[in-house]
Amino acid sequence: MAISSSRHRPGRARPWRALTAQIALLPMALTALGIYIGTVLWSMRISVSSSRIFPRDDFVGLSQYQRLFETERWHVSVQNLAVFGVLFVAACLVLGLLLAVLLDQHVRGEGVLRTVFLYPYAVSFVATGLVWQWMLNPELGIQSTVRALGFPDFKFDWIVQQDRVIYTIVIAAVWQASGVVMAVLLAGLRGVDESLWHAARVDGVPRWRYYLSIVLPQLGPAIGTSFVLLAVGVVKVFDVVVAMTQGGPGNASEVPAKFIMDNLFGRANVGLASAASTVMLLTVLALLTPWWYARAVQAKKARHA
Amino acid sequence: MAQMKFKTLAAAAFVALAANAAHAQKAEVIHWWTSGGESAAVKTLADAYNQAGGTWVDAAVAGADNARAAAINRIAGGNPPTAAQFNTSKQYHDVIDEGLLNDIDPVAAKEGWDKILPKPIIDSIKIKGHYYAVPVNIHNPTWFWYSKSALAKAGVAAEPKTVDEFFAALDKLKAAGLVPLALGGQSWQEWITFYSFVLHVGGRDAYLKFFRDHDVASVNSEPFRKAMTALRKLHGYVDAGSPGRNWNDATAMVISGKAGFQIMGDWAKGEFGAAGQTAGKEFGCFAGFGPSAPYMVAGDVFVFPKTTNKAQIDAQHKLATVFTSPATQVAFNNKKGSIPIRTDVDTGKMDVCAQAGVAAMKDASRQIANPDMLMTPDMVGAVQDVITKFWNSNQSVDDVVKALQGAIKG
Amino acid sequence: MNTATTPMPTAASPADSNPPRSRHATRPKRSMFSPARIGLYALLISAAAFFLVPLYVMITTSLKPMVEIRLGNLFALPTHATAVAWVDAWSSACTGLDCNGIQVGFWNSVKIVLPSTVLSIFFGALNGYALSFWRVRWAGVIFGVLMFGAFVPYQVTLYPLVRIFSAAGMFGTLPCIVLVHTIFGMPVMTLLFRNYYASVPGELFKAARIDGGGFWRIFFQLMLPMSLPIIAVAVIMQLTNIWNDFLLGLVFAGRENLPMTVQLNNVINTTTGERLYNVNMAATLLTSLVPLVVYLVSGRWFVRGIAAGAVKG
Repeated sequence: MAISSSRHRPGRARPWRALTAQIALLPMALTALGIYIGTVLWSMRISVSSSRIFPRDDFVGLSQYQRLFETERWHVSVQNLAVFGVLFVAACLVLGLLLAVLLDQHVRGEGVLRTVFLYPYAVSFVATGLVWQWMLNPELGIQSTVRALGFPDFKFDWIVQQDRVIYTIVIAAVWQASGVVMAVLLAGLRGVDESLWHAARVDGVPRWRYYLSIVLPQLGPAIGTSFVLLAVGVVKVFDVVVAMTQGGPGNASEVPAKFIMDNLFGRANVGLASAASTVMLLTVLALLTPWWYARAVQAKKARHA
Repeated sequence: MAQMKFKTLAAAAFVALAANAAHAQKAEVIHWWTSGGESAAVKTLADAYNQAGGTWVDAAVAGADNARAAAINRIAGGNPPTAAQFNTSKQYHDVIDEGLLNDIDPVAAKEGWDKILPKPIIDSIKIKGHYYAVPVNIHNPTWFWYSKSALAKAGVAAEPKTVDEFFAALDKLKAAGLVPLALGGQSWQEWITFYSFVLHVGGRDAYLKFFRDHDVASVNSEPFRKAMTALRKLHGYVDAGSPGRNWNDATAMVISGKAGFQIMGDWAKGEFGAAGQTAGKEFGCFAGFGPSAPYMVAGDVFVFPKTTNKAQIDAQHKLATVFTSPATQVAFNNKKGSIPIRTDVDTGKMDVCAQAGVAAMKDASRQIANPDMLMTPDMVGAVQDVITKFWNSNQSVDDVVKALQGAIKG
Repeated sequence: MNTATTPMPTAASPADSNPPRSRHATRPKRSMFSPARIGLYALLISAAAFFLVPLYVMITTSLKPMVEIRLGNLFALPTHATAVAWVDAWSSACTGLDCNGIQVGFWNSVKIVLPSTVLSIFFGALNGYALSFWRVRWAGVIFGVLMFGAFVPYQVTLYPLVRIFSAAGMFGTLPCIVLVHTIFGMPVMTLLFRNYYASVPGELFKAARIDGGGFWRIFFQLMLPMSLPIIAVAVIMQLTNIWNDFLLGLVFAGRENLPMTVQLNNVINTTTGERLYNVNMAATLLTSLVPLVVYLVSGRWFVRGIAAGAVKG
């Protein structure tokens, strides 16, 4: 979410103008503080209670957290999240950028192609996840089809292998999300002044270098947006796992959001679910804090410059 | 205390609903029966209720977890349904503890539930002396289904009557190039396979000690270990595409004769029926090994969220009465594929598997409650996690015994 | 830069996605079949193939009768193609006691999606605008909190939200679900617009202020018209998220306003009932038609160089 240092800060607004801005931002403040902070604090309170199907007012110390850290399924889900997160974000950014740049080349049928890349996002994952499960199932899908075509040793059964199943989740998730990244980056690309390309051509710069050295830096905010969107998607990944593998085989493709949901509703264990959710949020907080700090320092420097 | 405030708020909201109670005993019912066959079954309940003078308002939500979440949130929001579906289990015990369910003792007394309902069901719906749920059916989640053509092709002459015959049949199917056991590798299906083997291989005693008494020492006993060893052996008879498969896709393998057996609940009859097959003709069924095998009892109930609104309470009582009447029971269970909760009904129209089920239920010594009735959802989940790991890995019987002991200690 | 009598710089009118002919005239005609162009189309088509395979499976499955589906052959074309599943999905699939298909909730979904999308984009744009161009002391911190809030798993927030809306007396109503969607959409929408406005040249804003523009005037007359590409992205995201939302609609919308996704879930997601995969696929594809149409139509908003064009001059 970098703000280019060349952004022009407005001069000091007259007091009543700034007041308008403050009033306009009140809904945001209310939502952020009242709803988000409020519910996070509430769930932290519940995580130190023995709540089962309904929230309870008692206090059991850190026993829910203790139980959480003794639960193997939770550890697997966190590990999976790390692996999934890195691969998913990287693949979506690369693929999304590639597609956006390719579509920016005045191609025929850009509208159709754009819809093709975006449609996975429109279709409910309950059904598409099932289709991916069928396609990746060794007996039913790609492996058996390729073998029938005359390659009897072809193997692609990641989805039934416990140490490989998380990669199949990555594939399906990238399929679903890269279209949106492409859309965000395309919007950013369209904001780049075409005259820059003319100037570059006059200087003899080839098109790919133009993109690499001139356009890419200007896409900073758009890439930042995509990164945050993808990161949020990673932390919340749920539908694809439920539809494709149900967390299996065994618990090999378990993810935190599914762990939380299962305990919240299926196992009537609101206390444990809240503890898991709090741990997730504290981790996010830990990762965000250095960035916030860096931004605050940068802003301070800009003010005192 | 928030609990107190919560109850007061809930009670106040329900009283405020009084104004809305004009319609002839309007009953809003949350349930998760949404497929074609299930819809026909619900229709019998709705028709019976409407004929008795009420108005059925349907609030179906597919997916048991979703439906329960919707019901719980509606109760929390002060806008509860008249009735909500749960499994015959411990899932609603927490709701009772919070004082958020109405009891239906008047109906139970009038209809004589103490005399006509089987003991496992009564134990599950009568808490602290009061009746809080009305049972509508009895499902057996651990039927053994088999494809007659597949067994014939493999040279299996008759239904296996013992565990050893069962494994022998599996061997013959494997030799014939068929899939011996069609299993969907999802946690809940592995769970069903597990407790069916604890019951049918480990024996009634081992089963009860583990699931009802949570007896840690019993896990390491001879019968239980025998069941786990058999379970480990069973894994060799499922195909490589099993993990993640939906249960109906596994049934489809049996339907098409690609696989021999499936261990699944009696709702599987819906899939066989949709494919045009008849029980006893193209496919067969048995509830356990041998004629006096224990018969697993599970099922669905409806609970009644707390309200002081007289019209709503009348609607709740009417629902409970209508659901358990003999005529409704026969009509509903015929469509649902389960068996009625009472044995004093006409079983003429039922298929052979259901008739076998009713006959089994008549013998009280064969009835046994399923794990959901004996363990909290939390503990069920903990054991499920252990079992799915055991099933999908090479974990030894010793290790899984230790893990199971840890799971039921909690 | 002009001052005094010039009116507010206006945005270029939205052109369609093909740039005007005059731009092409200034450079030598590109051969349609140069290796670079062929390579370009080859890449695009292979990418499209990867994206389309699951759709192919979905469509063929929806056209097969169940007898064929049970046999397994996933990639085979239907031998006896029939559109019965589509008709069933729309109008006669069972969703509980009623067997009227998924059409029942269509207008409810529309009623929910339109105000929710408009409101959440409006607030996103407003917040992004205020954050980017105006100096409010606490805004940065609150924005940080909001971004943190984007990571909160919304299932955990269900219960307190239910209690809040119940206490406000609006639980289970249309305004309730619209407000819920606006709340949950705010972090991402704000982020989208804030980052977009960060790349808008500051001179534009400064010029507008010098011309006497106030907070709202600049917002409605300058910034919003300039934001068409990002509004297109925002519409794509929010409309899809809200249209496909299930759990929030189930809990907060109230029985009269249940969106189409509830019926879709009832068709697809039976626990122990029989599954008709062809109907499930057809129902899913039908549900996705609305967002798809929006994607196609939004093309005209992915225009080039509006901001750049407005500065020149």
